[in-house]
Amino acid sequence: MDIVGLANYAVFMAILIGIYALLALGLNIQWGFSGLFNAGIAGFFAIGAYTSAIITSIPAAHRLGGFELPLLLGWAGAMVVAAAIAWPIGKICLRFRADYLAIATIGIAEIIRLVIRTEGWLTGGVRGITGVPRPFGDLPYMQSQIAYLAIVIVLVLLAYLLVERQLKAPWGRMMRAIRDNENAAAAMGKQIAARRLQAFVFGSALMGLAGALFVHFNRSITPEAIDPMIATFLIWIMLILGGSGNNRGAILGAAVIWIIWSVSELLTDRLPTELAIQAKYVRVFIIGLTLQLVLRFRPEGILPERQPVPPPRT
Amino acid sequence: MNKKTLASLVGAVLGAAVLTAPAHAQNVKVGLLGGITGPIAAMAPSMLDASRLAFNQVNEQGGILNGGRLEVVVGDSACNPQNATDAATKAVNIDRVIATVGPHCSGAVLAATNSVAVPAGVLVVTPSGTSPEITRINDRDLVFRTVPSDDYQGRALARTLKARGITKVAVAYLNNDYGKGLAESFKAEFEAGGGTIAGYSGHEDGKASYRSDLAQLARGGADTLVIFDYGDGTGLTILRQALENNFFKTFIGADGMKSEAVIRSLGAANLTNFFASAPVGEASASLDAFRTAFSAAGGNPDAIFTTTSYDAAFLVALAIEKAGGDRSKLAEALRAVASAPGEPILPGEWAKAKKLIAEGKDIDYKGAAGDHEFDRAGDVPGQYAFFKVSGNTYEAVGEMK
Repeated sequence: MDIVGLANYAVFMAILIGIYALLALGLNIQWGFSGLFNAGIAGFFAIGAYTSAIITSIPAAHRLGGFELPLLLGWAGAMVVAAAIAWPIGKICLRFRADYLAIATIGIAEIIRLVIRTEGWLTGGVRGITGVPRPFGDLPYMQSQIAYLAIVIVLVLLAYLLVERQLKAPWGRMMRAIRDNENAAAAMGKQIAARRLQAFVFGSALMGLAGALFVHFNRSITPEAIDPMIATFLIWIMLILGGSGNNRGAILGAAVIWIIWSVSELLTDRLPTELAIQAKYVRVFIIGLTLQLVLRFRPEGILPERQPVPPPRT
Repeated sequence: MNKKTLASLVGAVLGAAVLTAPAHAQNVKVGLLGGITGPIAAMAPSMLDASRLAFNQVNEQGGILNGGRLEVVVGDSACNPQNATDAATKAVNIDRVIATVGPHCSGAVLAATNSVAVPAGVLVVTPSGTSPEITRINDRDLVFRTVPSDDYQGRALARTLKARGITKVAVAYLNNDYGKGLAESFKAEFEAGGGTIAGYSGHEDGKASYRSDLAQLARGGADTLVIFDYGDGTGLTILRQALENNFFKTFIGADGMKSEAVIRSLGAANLTNFFASAPVGEASASLDAFRTAFSAAGGNPDAIFTTTSYDAAFLVALAIEKAGGDRSKLAEALRAVASAPGEPILPGEWAKAKKLIAEGKDIDYKGAAGDHEFDRAGDVPGQYAFFKVSGNTYEAVGEMK
């Protein structure tokens, strides 16, 4: 173990945390501020990843695309397509309440996964897409990682500031009102259905962007990445642990969970090999246990939602 | 669990951490990345055991380089890119491995090599990533595999049919990665060789009747039907219905169709014109050596991908020895120890290999899963034979080139 290695590992972790933070931010808009239980995060993540891959990758005979367009176009495309697919889904599914919406979105994510697996002409099917460019990918290992981290940090920061701005605006207060008491908000003349749809589409677009960042980092995508365990439920745990309704909490939750997930393996690897292999199964258990403990002892998360201070009476 | 047991447990873990981390300068660290959790969790333990058998043999027979030990760092690639890159990053940066065996799944291999191993200059040998996309990784000659790409069997079968004088076929394939991968590579090679594909269609699993699909395929006028499917599943239904309705005269299958269930259900008398291709590695001295050693170590040598896992690990060890531990020469060394010419080395013959390398002689590893003559992309051509039905079983009628 040495400094350069540790630094490389830290940079790598920070990149993944950034990508997960974007997913958690997207979910925070949907669940934290609007009370929409989206259990299909993996689907929107996948849409973003595949869209950007198709737009920017080198051409291949067996699937759509390889348009070799600039990266920014790919990222914008990822957000637009994720939003465009979220729109009709939201239009239909948002009429469901809480748990019904959750079931519907699980179904949607599964449909998206199966379409990606089987429609080879579009997505390369089970082979996935390779040859996706990575910005600054030609630099030596460490520089390339740091450059990518810089991009991720800028985007996460930008997303954070924009979401934060939006939530401090009347729109944010309105969303909270709808979440906490739908009937009262409706009585105040708020268009519940349209507002919830906005939140759903907006959050999904951020998830799409996270997918795009992920695919360019790995230069490839296969349907295996759309595993609900790692692309849906892990993000729920991040948001709940960090504090739903709080954007900083979402980012913190992403960092804490990913660090537990990744670093715990480093510790168990010091054990003799037989035990170390068995300990890897425990990691999944630790994540579940963490969630249980948080829900039992601190259901509001590490950084709870800040209640806006009412303006002084005049 | 009270606080005391918890504390003693933590203490034990930390104690173990101190005890098992001795720093020997000559030791060489190798990563072993496998799908320990996730979709192939049931297959992974045998594969890891097979790889670890190879590393143990190295350590028992004189160790690596100047009497150092091969230290294995096991990582969980979980069959998805997220965990695979994480495991690879840790192995490469924290543990400083110079080569890895695995990851196991294709998607994990693509992500881990593209984003970690290749930029960091670490050799990767996967025992089970079969996707043709792995061939196309821009890998600076660092990515190898001991399992043939799905591409090979389809292409080999196309060439074999051409050699047997069959020029016009219809193709029915099961619409999943196995069936489709084979069908695509078969079609490309068959047409490139001047053959005609008179019908080409995928079918879904588990339907009661495929007669309309078959009638459609037969309309193209071919006498031969190539079926890429499983002989104990849909493939059997297709074969039966094609025979009953006399749609085709000759039937060809790939390894999935070479199932005893086909003979049991349809009877050998009806299958005189049924042929199948399947990988062979059976009955080689290398395989026997591996089977004996792995059984003795408590493993099941019939478990899937154990031979390729063993070979990947043994080849990595040979390459490290040959390169003198220099990571920049590993890929070149791997090609040297795996390819002819040279003194043949069988699985488990580490001491002999070490001696020959020390004497500067060329060696050629003959693996349990095949000879492993890597091509330019780091792929191995699978070894396949062409089988016909004979009595209640299959009999090889020729090798496939």
